[in-house]
Amino acid sequence: MLGLIVRRFFHMLISLLAITVVVFSLSHLTGSPIDALLPDDATPQQIENLTKHLGLDRPYYVQYLTFMQNAVVGDFGDSTKWKGNTAVQVVLQRLPATLQLGGLAVLISVVIAIPLGVLAAVKKNTIFDSVASGIALLGQSLPVFWLGIVLVWIFSVLLGWFPTSGYGGLSHMILPAIAMAWFQIAALTRLTRSAMLEVLDAEYIKLARVKGVRDNVVIWKHAFRNAAIVPITYFGVLAGSLLTGSVVIETVFAWPGTGLLAIDAIRGRDFPVVQSVVMFFAVFYLVANFLVDVLYAAIDPRIRQS
Amino acid sequence: MFHNKSVKYAFLTMMTLAASGSVSAQAQTIKMVMSPPAVETNRYWNTPGDFGLGPSMQGLIGHNPETGIYDNSGLAESWSHNDAFTEWTFKLKPEAEFHFGWGPVTAADVIHSLKLHTGPDTTLNGITQLEGAVATAEDDHTVKFTLPKPQVDFLFVHGGRGSLVIYSKAQYDKEGLEGYDAKPAGTAELQYVERNIGQGLTFEKVDNHWSGNEVAFDRLELQFIKEPATTLAKILSKEADIVMMPRELQRDAMDAGFKAVSSTNASNQATMLFNGTYLIPGDEALDKTLPWLDIRIREAINRSIDREVVNDVIYNGGATVLPVFGMDPRHEGYVPELAERFEEAYGYDLDKARALMKEAGYPEKFSNPVIPILSTVIAGSSEWPAMAELMQVFLDEVGFQTELVEMDWSNFSGMRRTRTAKMFHPMRNLPVKPSAVGIRNYYSALGRPKSNYEDPVIEELMAKYVDSIDPAERDELAGGIFTQVFEQYAVVPLSSISTVVIVNPETVSEWVFPGVTSVGVSHFPLIKPAK
Repeated sequence: MLGLIVRRFFHMLISLLAITVVVFSLSHLTGSPIDALLPDDATPQQIENLTKHLGLDRPYYVQYLTFMQNAVVGDFGDSTKWKGNTAVQVVLQRLPATLQLGGLAVLISVVIAIPLGVLAAVKKNTIFDSVASGIALLGQSLPVFWLGIVLVWIFSVLLGWFPTSGYGGLSHMILPAIAMAWFQIAALTRLTRSAMLEVLDAEYIKLARVKGVRDNVVIWKHAFRNAAIVPITYFGVLAGSLLTGSVVIETVFAWPGTGLLAIDAIRGRDFPVVQSVVMFFAVFYLVANFLVDVLYAAIDPRIRQS
Repeated sequence: MFHNKSVKYAFLTMMTLAASGSVSAQAQTIKMVMSPPAVETNRYWNTPGDFGLGPSMQGLIGHNPETGIYDNSGLAESWSHNDAFTEWTFKLKPEAEFHFGWGPVTAADVIHSLKLHTGPDTTLNGITQLEGAVATAEDDHTVKFTLPKPQVDFLFVHGGRGSLVIYSKAQYDKEGLEGYDAKPAGTAELQYVERNIGQGLTFEKVDNHWSGNEVAFDRLELQFIKEPATTLAKILSKEADIVMMPRELQRDAMDAGFKAVSSTNASNQATMLFNGTYLIPGDEALDKTLPWLDIRIREAINRSIDREVVNDVIYNGGATVLPVFGMDPRHEGYVPELAERFEEAYGYDLDKARALMKEAGYPEKFSNPVIPILSTVIAGSSEWPAMAELMQVFLDEVGFQTELVEMDWSNFSGMRRTRTAKMFHPMRNLPVKPSAVGIRNYYSALGRPKSNYEDPVIEELMAKYVDSIDPAERDELAGGIFTQVFEQYAVVPLSSISTVVIVNPETVSEWVFPGVTSVGVSHFPLIKPAK
């Protein structure tokens, strides 16, 4: 087990190094911050001054090495769009909002999708299965931005039950979290259903039933425990995508999280913020997948032993 | 007293609601929704000019809210200049004070602010007007700007869309830039409370303000929302009192009983530019294959466009036809005859357009007959993609070969910086700038690298114009340039537009603002809450 953890951790570091190169290259490929920052009437002198001030006149490899040197100690430089803040400060200010929203969306996804998927598998070809399939179909076909706007229209403008947008307590989070969880509920329900169907067909489940084990125990202890590997694997993707996939929802609901920040930073060519937010996303993804790998091994002894 | 528990709770609830109601009546907060600015910072010199701290900070010069004309509602009580327009002297109001006890406004604050605004990290629009300017203190309340070149329009630098906002030197000396980042001291009737990155800004009224002006509300919250549909929901649900949103959604709000309030003057001009029309002989950046280098093609394009439709579709009927982009009756060089001749010279006429194209040999005689139309988005002009599509419809109808090019504005700016932006693209003049600034930016080699149209006639006139200090001569020269622009069909002038905000009439009864800033709104203390 320890060997597996060390191996996975090492892979994670290599991935991180590769990501720094990709992030640095891509952010520079999107264009120069000079064009986003300077006004239309900027003089050649003004352009030259700002280019030097931002260090953009240095060769790319020097800029990359400086970036790496500083990034190791968590310094991604000063934001150019949110002047007066370091890039890390900007990301950290916006992070809690994303974590709160993402956390609630994950909770909603899991609480709804897992029982629904299990129910659909256990009650295969019944009305429950049809309802679960319908929800899954709608979840994967309704565009998130459309759903968000419709939710605002119905529950905020017409009924006045929730605030339309903005950062705040639970009442502000409910609509965006539902909109965000919608797609994930669909995906997780389908995965859980198919994994459960496969396990429920296994010989040891039939044996348990023949031996007279109660249905609830068969489903949740014997079947779900083995079927859970598939949804757990997806959980790493789910957690990551709820963070990074929050861009649209954060825009519709004016939720000041990191998804919206990433888009604003890219549009504003704010390289330090782009780099730090993408690095944060990358680290989050890697850690989530690392934990899933460890969990996977903990659940499935075959992986530990291999 | 209360025998029934539910009656008791109902009474207590009513009392609580009544108490909270009276509190909100005493402490009224005006909530305004707008698009996020391009740069969110308390440092004005690090923005392109779309400053969020407009409610709390001031320049030396103010504007009359009705006419937009410069007045002494800023920090200077009077000003004068020498005959050569190279020295401008401002007398500061002795009673003017910074917020939070940072003391009176003095000449030292102006000198300090000039230094900040002209540093190497400045990204301000219009900063060229301050290039080489030296400020000296004549006394504590008199400051003199010495300029390397005459500047007749120097007041523009200090007005609502100016390039110099006055910061406290005392605060800087004690707290540095971090002090400005945390709690910048301004001088206006509202003072800074807080900034929440990505969310907005809050201000509160200053009790017993030095100007003697009273603000009729207690707090002002500016909320930044990018999505227009969310902004509409915000006003329809009455969560906001004032919203700025695209014109195509304003009708929905007005149909639901909300009220439109316009700036008292036109705040913006819209046009389509033929970028890359570099007609000064020997210019290596000129691409000779551009179809619009032929004046007949430029005229044909102008005549293909139905400006009434542009007004209806893009501006919800709230714009007027613009005869020359950059020309405005409030500024030098306004030529009324051009406005009178506009219909005859630029009127929608497809037959004439087709005849011109035929005469020019379009498309056979053109090696590159395609007109690339830029579709892009820029903060504050959400109508640009629709504008690009509408232009394509007009041009296609008359027989032009077109191509819609979707591109991020920053990337396009990079192309303009290298003089390779060979496209037919939208542009705005927001707010409407003095003629000298507009001509420099759009029609003269002085505006390089981002100029789009240059010709020898304009260059000759411009050389005299920038050196002239005689008002009559300047007016004539600017008029001559605008006439040349008009005759040459140098651009496609479209519309003159006011800034429109939507207000909830239950909470806001009036707001008068002249449309002189780059966000269109100003004069926040003049927001009158409904009784």
